[in-house]
Amino acid sequence: MQYLRELAENAHLVLNFARRDIRAKYKQTILGVAWAVIQPLTLMVVFTFVFSLFARVPSDGLPYPIFSYSVLIFWMFFSACISQGTIAMTANAGLVRKIWFPRETLLLAVILSALVDLVIASVILAGMFVFYQIPLTWTALWVLPLLALQIVFALGVILVTSAVHVHYRDVGHALPLIMQVWMYATPIAYSLTSVPEWLKPLFVLNPMTGIIDGYRRVLLRATPPDHAALVIAAVASIALLLVSYTAFKRAERTFADVI
Amino acid sequence: MPPAAITLDDIWKGYHRSRSIAAKLARFGRRIAGRANEDDLFWALKGVSCEIRQGETVGLIGPNGAGKSTLLKILARVTVPTRGTYRTSGRVGALIEVGAGFHQALTGRENVYLNGAIMGMRKREIDAKFDQIVAFSEVESFLDTPLKFYSSGMMVRLGFAVAAHIDPEILLVDEVLAVGDTAFQAKCLNKIAELKEQERTIVLVSHTMPSILQHSSRVLWIDHGTIQAHGDPEETVEAYLRTVYKQRPGPADEAAAPGDSPIRITRVTVRNAVGDSHGVLAYGDSACVEVEYRVDRPVDDPVLALSFQDARDFPLGGITSRLGGVRLEGHEGTGIVRLHLSPVLFTRGSYGVTVAIQDSRIQRYLDMRPRAATFMVDGPSVASREVSGHFVFPHRWEAEPERA
Repeated sequence: MQYLRELAENAHLVLNFARRDIRAKYKQTILGVAWAVIQPLTLMVVFTFVFSLFARVPSDGLPYPIFSYSVLIFWMFFSACISQGTIAMTANAGLVRKIWFPRETLLLAVILSALVDLVIASVILAGMFVFYQIPLTWTALWVLPLLALQIVFALGVILVTSAVHVHYRDVGHALPLIMQVWMYATPIAYSLTSVPEWLKPLFVLNPMTGIIDGYRRVLLRATPPDHAALVIAAVASIALLLVSYTAFKRAERTFADVI
Repeated sequence: MPPAAITLDDIWKGYHRSRSIAAKLARFGRRIAGRANEDDLFWALKGVSCEIRQGETVGLIGPNGAGKSTLLKILARVTVPTRGTYRTSGRVGALIEVGAGFHQALTGRENVYLNGAIMGMRKREIDAKFDQIVAFSEVESFLDTPLKFYSSGMMVRLGFAVAAHIDPEILLVDEVLAVGDTAFQAKCLNKIAELKEQERTIVLVSHTMPSILQHSSRVLWIDHGTIQAHGDPEETVEAYLRTVYKQRPGPADEAAAPGDSPIRITRVTVRNAVGDSHGVLAYGDSACVEVEYRVDRPVDDPVLALSFQDARDFPLGGITSRLGGVRLEGHEGTGIVRLHLSPVLFTRGSYGVTVAIQDSRIQRYLDMRPRAATFMVDGPSVASREVSGHFVFPHRWEAEPERA
């Protein structure tokens, strides 16, 4: 409880860190925030060529570009949270060593600044909806609880990885690799329906499967997400968050000694 | 008596010497087995207890590695003590590293807001103080320039300006008074004086004894992780400085001379007005530095160079026997040269004398005895703020009533 009170007192710090991250990210660039769009767009083009044109991966009868882009932006949001969040303590080592503040503000700021990129990237998605004439229904509002769940899960993960990274930088080296494998293990470039039955149980273990599949259902197919999977993912994510937050706050006290 | 602002109760802080994964696993194993885990620890603080009352300015002194910074880090909540408890009441502001949290790519303006927020200020608070901060920092014309184009002096000034305006109940200052030029330092000192007048609690870490004496109402001397002395600023600083000397090599011994030197300094003695050599001089009295030397092989017109250092070995100035016009005996045998100080014009404190003998062109050192002797001076103190620095120059005041 005391943790949350201190966090609330320092909520403005989250905004300041996020503003710093966003400004610093796009300073001294020509294209500026356009980079938030260029990255998922490029990946979408590559995916379209490789999986749709060459490999002919089924996309549930949907145009492949919107099939992939609609979830790619959410994956890239997740990926940015994890990779930036994990190194957030060490990237701010100068601060952590010298000044006290609730360290999780750095993590929340990472999520917030990634969220801004997501919003920018979703402008293109809106354009694609118009272009492919796919109707949006009220079901699409499911995106918000899905996003909330995704944030809870991402926060639960980086609370652990960022604290471990303070002690062992191995995490930082392993991360790009893990994120790459994780992306292909999640139904982003392909549909969950094309996963063989015997592999499905394994896929359900990945919380991102339910979330990503959920986005696709509510946005493109106007069907609500798989409730059972969603509840499991929610319970697991919240449990993870509680455990990792307590562990993080304990570890936080000596970050300055080891960072 | 005002209430306590800081209470430290038996604070211990240990750091693990080994950070290897094997050592960490071993520690983890011992913890699970419920055994003590402290044999590998290096203790930076060993049971520090004290109470600092609201409105006090406490100077924290001690040699490098004594535990001063660790103590400040604990007070600033950056780290936690291994054992013991502490309590602080009120907002703690730390001037531990000026400009920590600055971002090079952001402008000065953006950094003021960012840094202010990191130090615990709300946006409205910063808005209200923004002009003051900028005026204090003297970087008005560069506010919209990215910080990476700032000179290091500008960056430090901006950092101090933000920190000085956080308005904490407890301010921790770590050796930052030495930033900027003289005019900026004066501003910083004024700011500290202002905070003192507002009954803020200040903990000041410095190696510069004059600034400790000038500001502190109490001095805490830490060494090897424990409190050595605690109390009156002048007494504590002097007690500390006395130990600093003891660790330094004493009066010149012959073994330290270069092997083939034709001329050697054999003894350096500081005598007071009545000729005692107990090492305490009185301001305004006369005194002399006596240098004995021995010539083993004839030397052509050797020159004696004598200089004074402050307690931290910072050179204060020196003269040679050329300036005064005496000549040293260059033939085999022994001789004595005396430098008379009449009167002694050093301010209160501790000093060292370095003596050297040079060749006739005052270029090569034939013998050199760093800090061959030390002495203390009793006299006007910078703590009284009536004098500053290490010397009072020969002078005479005069004031004339204004004529109508």
